[in-house]
Amino acid sequence: MSEGGHHPAPLSPVERRVAALEALLTERGLVPAGFIEEITRRYESEIGPLNGAKVVARAWVDPGYKERLLTDGTAAIAELGFGGPEGDHMVVVENTPAVHNVIVCTLCSCYPWPVLGLPPSWYKDPPYRARMVREPRSLLAEMGCPLPGDVEIRVWDSSAEVRYLVLPQRPPGTGGMTEAELAGLVTRDSMIGVARL
Amino acid sequence: MSTPLSLSDLDLPRQNGELVFDAPWQSTVFGLAAAVIDNAFGGDREPFRQQLIKAIAAEPGRPYWESWTAALEALVETLP
Repeated sequence: MSEGGHHPAPLSPVERRVAALEALLTERGLVPAGFIEEITRRYESEIGPLNGAKVVARAWVDPGYKERLLTDGTAAIAELGFGGPEGDHMVVVENTPAVHNVIVCTLCSCYPWPVLGLPPSWYKDPPYRARMVREPRSLLAEMGCPLPGDVEIRVWDSSAEVRYLVLPQRPPGTGGMTEAELAGLVTRDSMIGVARL
Repeated sequence: MSTPLSLSDLDLPRQNGELVFDAPWQSTVFGLAAAVIDNAFGGDREPFRQQLIKAIAAEPGRPYWESWTAALEALVETLP
């Protein structure tokens, strides 16, 4: 993405550190040619929340798939061709009129990458990680997702072993929509659990 | 750093093509960690994750990708 200018801005300290890491690791043969470009391209064009949206839409239209998804998330997600690193132990938690689920990673921002892509910046920030555990109802309201007092909130703390994905409730009035149209309704935030559809 | 959660971020596109890195060095350091995990640790992410947990705990307010960089530096130190 270089502009090829004649007077490039001096590197910031962190840019210098990353450049040093890249030089060292390349010299040690750990970074194959084109590796970084390829993985970046995959995350920017192939791996993202649309994958999760397809999973959710399938669960809405196919009760058998939904049952498999809630029983063994990893296998059911793999049925649609998604999986791999950072998503190999997926647990899907279902929102109902009485229960709202939300995911967080208090330690290091673990995230179900194969179905949601890379985490949004706020997911990685200390206020989200701390407050979603301590005061989820207030934080959800601040994020534009106020919940009635009688709705139970379950906060799922991701870990190295398990990555969670929220199965949002199907919005009312969508009975006539196709699976593809339904997938278009599903937002990333609804699958993290900070929004309702 | 500890600004309120960005509400503007809540309506990002749901296409897979959304921008996921704010600067080129972030995608570079992300890819470098993936390369080290794959090629020096046989795909085992846990050693890097432990370094990331330590790096975030050491400076909780530090921007995420800077903690990621510190974690990768620490991990590289452990390589034979």
